[in-house]
Amino acid sequence: MGRQQGWFALILALTIASGALLANYGLQLGLDLRGGSQLTLQVMPAGAITRVDTEQLEAVKDVLERRINGLGVAESTLQAVGSDQLVLQLPGEQDPSQAARVLGSTALLEFRAQKPGTEQEMQGLLGLKRQAESVLRSKRPPSALDDPTATPPPPPSSLSPEDLAKALTSLGIKVPAGASEVDQLELLLRETNRRILALYGPPLITGKDLTSAGRQQQATGSGWEVTLGFNREGGEKFAALTQSIAGTNRVLGIVLDGRSISEASVGEQFKVAGITGGSASITGNFSAEEARDLEVQLRGGSLPLPVKIVEVRTVGPSLGAENIRSSLVAGLSGLALVAVFMAVVYRLPGMVAVVALSLYALFNLAIYALIPVTLTLPGIAGFILSMGMAVDANVLIFERIKEELRAGNTLIRSIDTGFSLALSSIIDGHVTGLISCAALFFLGTGLVKGFAVTLAIGLLLSLFTALTCTRTLLRLLMSYPTLRRPTYFLPARQLPPLRAGAAPAGAA
Amino acid sequence: MTSVPSPRFRINRHRRLAWLGSGLACGLSLLGLALCWLNPAIHAPLRPGLDFTGGTQVQVERDCAPCKPVTPVEVREGLSRLTLPSPEGERPPSLGSASVQVLDGGRSLLLRLPALDADQSTALIDDLGKRFGPLRSSGTSVNTIGPTLGSRLLRGSLISLLVSFVAISVYISFSYSGIFAVLALLCLAHDVLITCGLFAWLGLLQGIEVDSLFAVSLITIAGYSVNDTVVVYDRIREQRRNLADLPLVDQVDVAVDATLTRSLYTSFTTLLPLVALIFFGGSTLFWFAVALTVGIAVGSWSSIGLAPTLLPVFSKR
Repeated sequence: MGRQQGWFALILALTIASGALLANYGLQLGLDLRGGSQLTLQVMPAGAITRVDTEQLEAVKDVLERRINGLGVAESTLQAVGSDQLVLQLPGEQDPSQAARVLGSTALLEFRAQKPGTEQEMQGLLGLKRQAESVLRSKRPPSALDDPTATPPPPPSSLSPEDLAKALTSLGIKVPAGASEVDQLELLLRETNRRILALYGPPLITGKDLTSAGRQQQATGSGWEVTLGFNREGGEKFAALTQSIAGTNRVLGIVLDGRSISEASVGEQFKVAGITGGSASITGNFSAEEARDLEVQLRGGSLPLPVKIVEVRTVGPSLGAENIRSSLVAGLSGLALVAVFMAVVYRLPGMVAVVALSLYALFNLAIYALIPVTLTLPGIAGFILSMGMAVDANVLIFERIKEELRAGNTLIRSIDTGFSLALSSIIDGHVTGLISCAALFFLGTGLVKGFAVTLAIGLLLSLFTALTCTRTLLRLLMSYPTLRRPTYFLPARQLPPLRAGAAPAGAA
Repeated sequence: MTSVPSPRFRINRHRRLAWLGSGLACGLSLLGLALCWLNPAIHAPLRPGLDFTGGTQVQVERDCAPCKPVTPVEVREGLSRLTLPSPEGERPPSLGSASVQVLDGGRSLLLRLPALDADQSTALIDDLGKRFGPLRSSGTSVNTIGPTLGSRLLRGSLISLLVSFVAISVYISFSYSGIFAVLALLCLAHDVLITCGLFAWLGLLQGIEVDSLFAVSLITIAGYSVNDTVVVYDRIREQRRNLADLPLVDQVDVAVDATLTRSLYTSFTTLLPLVALIFFGGSTLFWFAVALTVGIAVGSWSSIGLAPTLLPVFSKR
């Protein structure tokens, strides 16, 4: 009896833990259930690269992640799939076409010289831009990349609400009602960027001429700088470009995908030949994170593997919600009928099985929340199949118990034999199921994988619930003599005549 | 359990009938698949959906009650007049070949088009909004699938299915015998074939298309079929030990009779939630639930009527 109580305590503990898990973490629903869009991007080999490898995929992913963050979509996820695909998920009612446009464009890096005669205007715009940037930065949490021992950056030059409002009006920006300070700052940045771009000449060097990008700590001071390496042609063009603006107040603009990411002035000393040697560094007192950002963006620009959008799937949130509601109701009512069926056909053990199967469903959901498994339609199919097999395991056991009882065995013995005889078929069924899961998981694609995961979890759990939960609960009930009646297991007319009338059957 | 039990139901007495039924169903299925293949509009064993052909599918929901009726012809007419934006140097895709369905009494429109990019589909939806609007933005869905993706999905599922078949037959060969494994796979093929056959006929007669969820349902059916068959096998194996003096036919009859209740109950309990899904579930799951229901019913049949009756025939040789 002690062992049964040990198992019972374990089941109880698992039930409580599962409940707590579900209450705290909740389930992740796939886009097909809650609505949203999914974009699949194929990274295309280009130029010297004939095969896309993981490193390049990561590089592309980094660049795209930054762009997506720039879009300001909530809760989006970008995942690498296989060796050359990325999947972007945008939950809820978000327009996938905007994301498609931004992601589909290749990272375009340009070096442009400022047009003559625009020095004063540029100065003002850059001042505003720096102020807005530093205020924005102070509102973001510090990055782990920054050296904690380094001296903290100087406090942001303040931009009081009045100054901000004045700056916005001076640029002719209408602020929508209710816009937060951050929104306003971003509006300001966008407008200054637009105006700065207008002051640049045509692009003279593009990312094609860039061969490398890196970052290093500045020789003096605590900041970081970003280093660039050009090919021969690019080096020549860079020298010419820098020579043309050396010693003037005009700046060299580095523009990535239509955004001016850095504006550098070129010192007097380069008046004669420009910056030669095919390399350059952008010093701007960057923090470690900023330097990395810039480096990554430049690399994205210097290594432009084009991406192609191969799939866009959208499920309207109302379609998704409607689907899940009606399907959930249908599924649950079906399961309720199964419970009624089990209780009617198998009587006492049937009711025990209903409890065990409810626990089974609970444990399943808890594991989905724990791993976490994102529930999709194929995932639900896997769950239904495993539920079917879990019910099957119970049916197998109870049919055996009935057979033993009909053959005239005592109740307790029948239960024990029933479990042990059903064991081999249950194990065979589950093992073959798990074999398919393994094949489907390792070789299948997205949809099929989701199915394999939920089915595998369901099969492993079903072994546990059928062989442990049902058994423990049944044996626990059998310790009450009033419940120890064969007629609680099958109709009296099916019992052998000798035992039909014999009330409480003897214990084993 | 040493006395020879006399089964109430002897499956092997009815085996010719069972084979006839399965043979007819398989023949009809093959005929359906062949007719589908020969049909110039389909030219594949099953009518492939968007997932396998590639293209763009746009569904819009009109925000109106009651809705002014719309005919597919009207929608198509507007499409042929519409010029979509296109990247420089490329011709916009022609929309003349689009298929249009009007659903829910004119409330929803479902358009199947050649692959469109983001700008083009936005332009199309704007145009639909102007002519049939207003549209409910939360009811709009746009799916674009590249043509290579479908074949990739199909290949991935087929390879994983084949590998799992091989692995399962190795397992059954070890714990039972080679002939058991062959028959289990035969039953599995039978179940999958009949499900496919039904959808081939549905494709021919009703224009029902198969999508990636259908591929998932076939895999599910395969898993269920093997599980169902293995349970009967387990009983046969047990009877071969218990009733070693009897001929195999009788051992099989006893085993099938003993597991019959279980087989029927299990199928019944698995079918209950699926049938509920068919009648009360969401529209996206309807055909999926139909495929699973048919496959599981057939799978249950083959594990009772086919694998056990073929076993004595093949074992004699």
